[in-house]
Amino acid sequence: MSDLVIETTGLHKEFRSRRGGLRVAVQGLDLAVNRGGVHGFLGPNGSGKTTTIRMLLGLARASKGSMELFGHVVPDSLPAVIDRVGAVVESPKFSPNFTGRQNLLLLARTIGAPTTRVDAAIETVGLTGRDRDRFKSYSLGMKQRLAIAATLLKDPELLILDEPTNGLDPAGIREIRDTIRDLGERGVTVLLSSHILAEVQQVCDSATIIGNGRLLASGRVDELLQGGAAAVRVEVPDPSAARGVLQSAGFSVAAASGDLPGLLVESETPADVTRVLGEAGIWLTSLTPVRRDLESVFLELTQADTLGHDRAQEGGA
Amino acid sequence: MKRLLHVELTRLRWRRAVLLLLLAAVALPILFGVARVLGTRPPSAEELVRVDQQVAEETARPYVQKELERCLTKPQRYGIDADATDLQAQCESNVLPRPEWFSYYETLDLVQERDETGLAVVALVSVLLLLAGTTLVGHDWNSGSMSNQLLFESRRTRVWTAKALVVFSVSLLLSLVVFSGYWLALWAVARSRDLPATTGILVDCLQDGLRGALVAGGAALGGYALTMLFRSTVATLGVLFAVAVAGGALIGVLGIDEQFQPQTNIAAVILDGASYYVPVPEECFGPRPPTGDVCDEQKVLPATNGSIYLGSFLVLAGAASVLSFRRRDVP
Repeated sequence: MSDLVIETTGLHKEFRSRRGGLRVAVQGLDLAVNRGGVHGFLGPNGSGKTTTIRMLLGLARASKGSMELFGHVVPDSLPAVIDRVGAVVESPKFSPNFTGRQNLLLLARTIGAPTTRVDAAIETVGLTGRDRDRFKSYSLGMKQRLAIAATLLKDPELLILDEPTNGLDPAGIREIRDTIRDLGERGVTVLLSSHILAEVQQVCDSATIIGNGRLLASGRVDELLQGGAAAVRVEVPDPSAARGVLQSAGFSVAAASGDLPGLLVESETPADVTRVLGEAGIWLTSLTPVRRDLESVFLELTQADTLGHDRAQEGGA
Repeated sequence: MKRLLHVELTRLRWRRAVLLLLLAAVALPILFGVARVLGTRPPSAEELVRVDQQVAEETARPYVQKELERCLTKPQRYGIDADATDLQAQCESNVLPRPEWFSYYETLDLVQERDETGLAVVALVSVLLLLAGTTLVGHDWNSGSMSNQLLFESRRTRVWTAKALVVFSVSLLLSLVVFSGYWLALWAVARSRDLPATTGILVDCLQDGLRGALVAGGAALGGYALTMLFRSTVATLGVLFAVAVAGGALIGVLGIDEQFQPQTNIAAVILDGASYYVPVPEECFGPRPPTGDVCDEQKVLPATNGSIYLGSFLVLAGAASVLSFRRRDVP
């Protein structure tokens, strides 16, 4: 029996716009998620993550390709496996005039789950005391918690979470992160779609990165972090002069990413960088080796993909 | 399926807007019935005395007496034969004031009620139940909770059917109780007033109520099916309004028979047949009109035809709704 919990092959989804044009959201996506652990599902906005999840859950029809959950072909065999899958797709969607508890009770009764499981789910996500308030009075974080509570009603083997920490405060994010990690350790397979890459890196065992509906990379997180050039971040009094000197010496130089000051210099040996700058009379304020993280891998892959995509479109035009 | 039915019934019970509409579907016919009972109540003894006094006062007025004398002397002017043996009585009947001139009392006539208020009550309840059907499921689409429901029961046909069954059965049951109550109450009132109210009339009224309940249940189901198709209460009501206005106008402009008007068919189903009028050829007004029923302006549309007409729309809306729900992506 296959150990894959999720498997898609050549998955394709096209949307027809009202003007008659076609928009491709997912193109030939091969996704494989092994049983157990937490699997990150990463991609920029509009890359096709949510569409893929919605197709897996039978909410959207695939234009082409095949999908399997627990070895069952979906959507045809979805009824056989849906009770084993808990999911939060995009923003939490409940009846606004019902209380949180009423919303959960209706879902629990649909699958024949006892009321005690509703109580347990409410307690797990920390909504006790607010569960009899109307859903529309909840903050975004509370709505998110209720959505997670709904997934727990099934006691799922596979949990699909699409941006589950949206709207949560730092303490809430931490709680959800711990819950996800805990579920992963208990043998529940978690597919976590998130934009918070540092969090994904902390929680996930493996990850898939997609861009423009295509698979860019997939594997264990530590494997994904390997490769790529080593770099150092240098801070100097005159960055433009330093950039010129380093580039003339053959180094690849870029501005440091994010809010960090200084220059990012690709180099295996930081001593070479200090020597070249010292010889030019430029003295370093600081030098920090830069370790590759998921964010940099993600940005490298997605930016390259966006560039390639744009060029392909220009070529096509 | 049993579980789903239970869930949908609970959802209906918890949705306040739907409950208010169901409450209105009960309360308005009660108000209607009360108004009819009060509007047809017989005059009290005091009222009769007052009327008799008014009649006597009016009769004693000189101009009335003069008029009576004129009638007795020249009865032909009043359309009375001069040789009539009961000339006095005929003239008095023609000239003297009558009690009904001073007080109008409508009697409760169940046969008449069937054609008038009975139809109005069914129409009112049907509209309210149609709104309840659209509101119940429109909310699911509006809040996006439909996708959440499908994450727990992915068999879409089952979900559609469970909701449809709940909408139809609740509407049918409620309207059946309301209509039966309405007719039983009016019948009891008529009997207590010693008016013609045989068991046969009651059976006819109750049969109207049963057919009316089917129409009301069908309206609720139709509203539900269309909302599942258009995925919005507002869109459904907009389409229904447009069809009611434009469809009726189109039928009128194209000169299509009155038998194809929705209201004629609804009346035919509820009343077990309804009259409608058709234009007849010019020859019918000539000296030698054609034989057969070509010259009958009034025709009767049987209940079966009305049922087929309304049922076709319901089946069409239902089929489109199920197919669309099964195939289209759910937001």
